[in-house]
Amino acid sequence: MSSKTEEPIIEISQVSHAYGSVRVLENINLKVMRGEFIAIVGPSGCGKTTLLNIISGYENPDEGSVCRRGKLSMIYQKDGLFPWYTVSENIELSLRHITKSEQRKKQTLSAIRLIALEGFENHYPHQLSGGMKQRVELARALSGESDILLMDEPFSALDYITRLKMRGELVTYLRERPRTVILVTHDIEEAAQLADRVIPMSSRPGSILQVREMTPPRPRSLTDPAVTNMVGELLKLLNLQNGHHVVNIKKGEDHAL
Amino acid sequence: MLYKHLKRWALGALLFTVLLTFLRFEPWKFEAFQNTRSLKIIDVGFLPVTCHLTCPVTDYASQTSDSYRYDSQRFQDFPTMVESIRGGRLEATFMIVPLAMKLREQGVPVRIVYLGHRDGSTVMVRPDLDIADLRDLRGMTFAIPSKYSNQYLVIRRLMLEQGVEPEEINFIEMPPPDMPGALSAKAIDAYFVGEPFPASSELSGEGRILYHVKDIWPNFISCALVVHERLIEEHPDLVADLVRGIAESGEWAEENREEAARIAAPYFRQNVEVVRHVLMSPPDRVSYRMLSPTDQELQLIHDIALETGILEREVPISELLDRRFIPDDIRPLQIQ
Amino acid sequence: MRTKLLPLLFVAVAIGLWSLVSSLQIFSNLVLPAPWEVLEGFVEEAASGRLYQDVVASLFRVTIGFGLAVILGIPFGLWMASQPVLRDMMLPVVNFFRNLSPLAWIPFAILWFGIGDAPAIFLIFIAALFPIILATFAAVENIPSVYFRVANDYGMEKGEILRKVTFPAIAPQVITTLRVTAGLSWLVVVAAEMIAGNDGLGFAIWDARNGLRMDLLVSGMIVIGIIGVILDRLLVQLTKIPGVRWGYEQ
Repeated sequence: MSSKTEEPIIEISQVSHAYGSVRVLENINLKVMRGEFIAIVGPSGCGKTTLLNIISGYENPDEGSVCRRGKLSMIYQKDGLFPWYTVSENIELSLRHITKSEQRKKQTLSAIRLIALEGFENHYPHQLSGGMKQRVELARALSGESDILLMDEPFSALDYITRLKMRGELVTYLRERPRTVILVTHDIEEAAQLADRVIPMSSRPGSILQVREMTPPRPRSLTDPAVTNMVGELLKLLNLQNGHHVVNIKKGEDHAL
Repeated sequence: MLYKHLKRWALGALLFTVLLTFLRFEPWKFEAFQNTRSLKIIDVGFLPVTCHLTCPVTDYASQTSDSYRYDSQRFQDFPTMVESIRGGRLEATFMIVPLAMKLREQGVPVRIVYLGHRDGSTVMVRPDLDIADLRDLRGMTFAIPSKYSNQYLVIRRLMLEQGVEPEEINFIEMPPPDMPGALSAKAIDAYFVGEPFPASSELSGEGRILYHVKDIWPNFISCALVVHERLIEEHPDLVADLVRGIAESGEWAEENREEAARIAAPYFRQNVEVVRHVLMSPPDRVSYRMLSPTDQELQLIHDIALETGILEREVPISELLDRRFIPDDIRPLQIQ
Repeated sequence: MRTKLLPLLFVAVAIGLWSLVSSLQIFSNLVLPAPWEVLEGFVEEAASGRLYQDVVASLFRVTIGFGLAVILGIPFGLWMASQPVLRDMMLPVVNFFRNLSPLAWIPFAILWFGIGDAPAIFLIFIAALFPIILATFAAVENIPSVYFRVANDYGMEKGEILRKVTFPAIAPQVITTLRVTAGLSWLVVVAAEMIAGNDGLGFAIWDARNGLRMDLLVSGMIVIGIIGVILDRLLVQLTKIPGVRWGYEQ
């Protein structure tokens, strides 16, 4: 099920960026269509988090421009939930524009139902497991009015099994609440399984190596030949560029820049 | 949620503070004070060295007036007391006489207006040592409250008489309350300090009396009532009242020693046995009469202080001593 | 149950041993008073009303001094964390003062404030102020930047961020510091009262010492210890507030 349209929602043109003398991004050009799921993969230090920050407007690029036609919501690797707020208080952060508290409560509840955390409304994040926390983050990001979901290594702090489960859940939630998604990850498998287009990046300076269309359309199983083939190809592609990084990529020990 | 709780805590803390402030200042008692019109409170400092027994009675004396009140302020050490006088926070205090001279020498305008008591100091030695006089204390450790104390001056004079050189006895300064314990632990071999510390050593059998001060320096002066000149100028009547209070309560204590012990002991957390011992055995161990110091007496202390290097230059006794406030006719205080 | 019973058991055994040693009269009463003497002393102090006066005096000084330090220290710490210039200027200074024993201020406390409540309150204030400033400042510095990004993502204004992010984020660390500094204040008040004045538990202890009343001294020590524990137990309740528990359970 791909909800991809031909209407561009984000246009990145000729973006370059440097931190001091270190060039992080080099001439990035990308058009993201409404409803599309983009996965940006690459080794740590390839500038993918910087790219995400530029897309979100948190950082301004040295050169080039980003054009957004929609509201954003962001999911972080960890600590994205306020530990002093309960599950429902955290979700309500994205519903601040709703003035009627009754309606806000109703929407919060429906978001909690979406992630199947009924009964945990008044729990605090530290009382939840890692997977549950990321589910709350997803619920919060998906219950607002946003059109675009930016995800920065959202599952990388989780264990492998939980990560697999979360992928399935993400697919389910997106079916309920469709969004344009840009996922930044170093998990090649995750990218290949979830995205419509996978964009591998090289590092120092970060630039787009290729743009790979994924067929068949989402959702896909992990054992789908298209997914396994793509994993093999991406590995080869990144390995050719930066051989020693592959080990880190597979282990998932690498952290974003 | 958080703020709801924090507000509750802040409110609790506020109530706690208000409650404590009330309990501390007991405003419901202020009204009684106001009825007696502007009550002037004068802090009288003292150290628990030798005047410990006169102070409770001094405090009693303040009850005789309804226009002023004397609050006794206990100090722990001389430096703090001196700081308070310099800072202008304390204008009347009991103080060892050489220290008053030292203050005067340093330009702090204080005057001696009266004495706290006479005698009342004792030289104690370890009971297990065979000590007959200071010659036997050669090479031993001898505790004194301060080198500015009269006790030290007396011992120095006695050493001179007995032919003991200053460096032959190892003097250390020690807070008086620690002396009985140090003697019983054999950390020191002898000490010389005001009562009631020697009495407590004697009662517990852990110290032996070598000399009563009256036997080596009759009419020994330890503490004097020292008053800042500012108080004398601004409130001569209060100084006179204070001196009369001390004189009359001293006279009363002379006539009612048993009773005085009973009153003084709980007043300052003293053991009544010890206080009675000080006042009764023998009765002339401490005296509350003849509290008017003569020029000659102070001159003698002054000269020894000069000799021993405690004072660096002369302090005219006429400037230091002010006998104007001493009443001619001293009657015992009426205590019911 | 176990954590309540075991300390009681230990105290019971300790008092038993103490009674035994005292009844054998190995030490003079000057060195170690007997438990029953301490109890008698305690009853004497309580009956005379002096104990109540001393407790009120000490608690009053701690409450005012500590309260002032909290009211001024936390905002100053926040302010310092928000102004880089102020931070660079004040951080070494605050650190310097934090490392000074509050007791070193005693001479100044007496010269500036005389005797009685004021110098003791000043000493407690000084003792608590600098750790509170420093802890508040450090807590703000340590807030993960992602919280501010999230706050920004969801459109919080500056004042709202202070109320809804900065403050709750530092609360656990600040509360821990409040517990520590309250304990410190209690230590300081007892020491400060030993210098000058005529009431307070510290005064009571030194007065007992001067009066060679070791029984009263020990009963005073016990009262001070028990009140200290009660104060701490009270402040521990702050850590049970739902919105700050995350800081202690992670």
